[in-house]
Amino acid sequence: MKGNWMKKQQLLGYVFIAPNMIGVLLFFIIPAMFSFVLMFTDYRFMNPNVSFVGLDNFTRLFKDEVFYVSLGNTLIFLLSVPISILLAFVVAVALNKSVYMKKMLRALYFMPYITSGVAIAFVWMLLFQPKMGPINGFLRAIGIDNPPGWLSTMETSMIAIDIIWIWFMLGYNMIIYLAALQEISSELLEASKIDGAKWWQTIRSIIWPLVSPTTFLLLITGLIMTIKTFGIIQAITQGGPGNSTTILSLFVYKNAFRYYEMGYASAISWVLFFIILVITMIQWAGQKRWVHY
Amino acid sequence: MNATKTAPAASPNVPASRKTPGWLQLLEWNKLLLTVVMTFFGILMIVPFIWMISTSFKTPADVFVYPVKWLPNPWNWEHHIKVWTGDKSFVTYYMNSLKVSIISTVGATFLSAFAAYGFSRVEFKGRNALFLVYLSMMMVPPQVLFVPKFIMFEWAGIYNTHYALILPGMFTIFGVFMMRQFFLSIPYEISESAFIDGAGHFRIFFRLILPLAKPALATLAIIDFSWHWNDYENALVFLIDEGLYTVPLGLQNFILENTIDYNGMMAAATAGIVPMIVVFLIGQRFIIQGISNSAVKG
Repeated sequence: MKGNWMKKQQLLGYVFIAPNMIGVLLFFIIPAMFSFVLMFTDYRFMNPNVSFVGLDNFTRLFKDEVFYVSLGNTLIFLLSVPISILLAFVVAVALNKSVYMKKMLRALYFMPYITSGVAIAFVWMLLFQPKMGPINGFLRAIGIDNPPGWLSTMETSMIAIDIIWIWFMLGYNMIIYLAALQEISSELLEASKIDGAKWWQTIRSIIWPLVSPTTFLLLITGLIMTIKTFGIIQAITQGGPGNSTTILSLFVYKNAFRYYEMGYASAISWVLFFIILVITMIQWAGQKRWVHY
Repeated sequence: MNATKTAPAASPNVPASRKTPGWLQLLEWNKLLLTVVMTFFGILMIVPFIWMISTSFKTPADVFVYPVKWLPNPWNWEHHIKVWTGDKSFVTYYMNSLKVSIISTVGATFLSAFAAYGFSRVEFKGRNALFLVYLSMMMVPPQVLFVPKFIMFEWAGIYNTHYALILPGMFTIFGVFMMRQFFLSIPYEISESAFIDGAGHFRIFFRLILPLAKPALATLAIIDFSWHWNDYENALVFLIDEGLYTVPLGLQNFILENTIDYNGMMAAATAGIVPMIVVFLIGQRFIIQGISNSAVKG
């Protein structure tokens, strides 16, 4: 009787998971395995002659100048993650208890995250317009005669992208920090006030260490999310000027769907996977050690 | 809206326990000052939206006037009319986006909940191993999957159709993960007493667990909808026909064809963003709750 019930449970478990599992197989697991094979081929779209080329794609990749440029750009892009986290921490601490209209302010900071897709990227494109755009208009008005060319010059284009991305991620990070701040007991904060700690001392030696698990989590998830993105960059600069905003994920897209070098693109995409794997491993290792309080 | 409720309530509470009136105390002045500062930066955060809407109503000559004219004078509706009634009307893009987003969201929300129930409240062999496979798929970036999916969709004949967005869109690993977290937080005793009453897993799922999970389902649905509505990357890879374009692609198309019509661009961008602003204002509570929960408990 009991054995029968267990068997039924076993079967039911699979019944519940099956519909989703089929989709995950079809759209995640099988394509991933397929891609793993493709990276060892010279497959080009519409070209019937496909052959296995071993590690040729990787030899080519390590000689490809654009690959190193895109790695550098990716690093600059990833810099936006810690900056956005730090700003979000400041905003979250400010909004946590010591302001009026907390909910409305929270909504203001959070709005970019939920409402922006490609559409807002086009708005930023005009805001950053170098000759007449409002951002440079403002900079000239406060006395900067030669404001940066933002998206239009190779030196500053990645910085402009970072600014957009920091703006976009800030609200998400803030919401997570606000949730973490709720968990800090108010007795602890009261106690430090009674002990005569200044507000910045309280933030630095009580709040910041206590939310370190959250900071760590935000850093890891932020890095992974950022490294996968290319939509806003493709929409406003297509990786240009030159290759100055071609990040790794966009480099994959360009090779696959602009030049139709699909075997080569698959190889690059696994480099991207490898980076994410390393970040994830740091997370596993760090969860135990790096988080201190 | 929420602000008017909390702001007046906050100040009278404080002075009751103290001798000097609250608003006179240094602390409250600090609070007021910080509110002003944070409001300033908060408004700065949404300036791009304000500029977008304002520009979409301006005349072409006023787009880049500095100092910025925040209130258009005169109000100019022609750009919005062009976006909605031109030869490439946004009506088509909207219908496509609504179709893709709604079907994907409904599918993804239900399928996630169904699988999450299996992963959290039914005990069976290999459950944890399977869930680990799911989680490991979160590490695979979409760039790895684009090329093989492109080839597979070609074979299957769904490349350049809405199925290429809808079918994969119905399966999200994040959704399963989020719903599982929620189901784990429901005491298992509820299921046990239902078993004793003779209910099976299906009845428990549909009659007990799903109704309890309404807030979590709403959260997932809203987050999912915003993903699908904003999804540009998949549409870019899997669609070619203009008639099939979703809003982000339609927007890009509009901008490529009207490179100097800045007002038109902003009217088009407004058309793309306004639905998300509405969803945000209606579902704010769910979204914030859901995002906080998924990270803190995860």
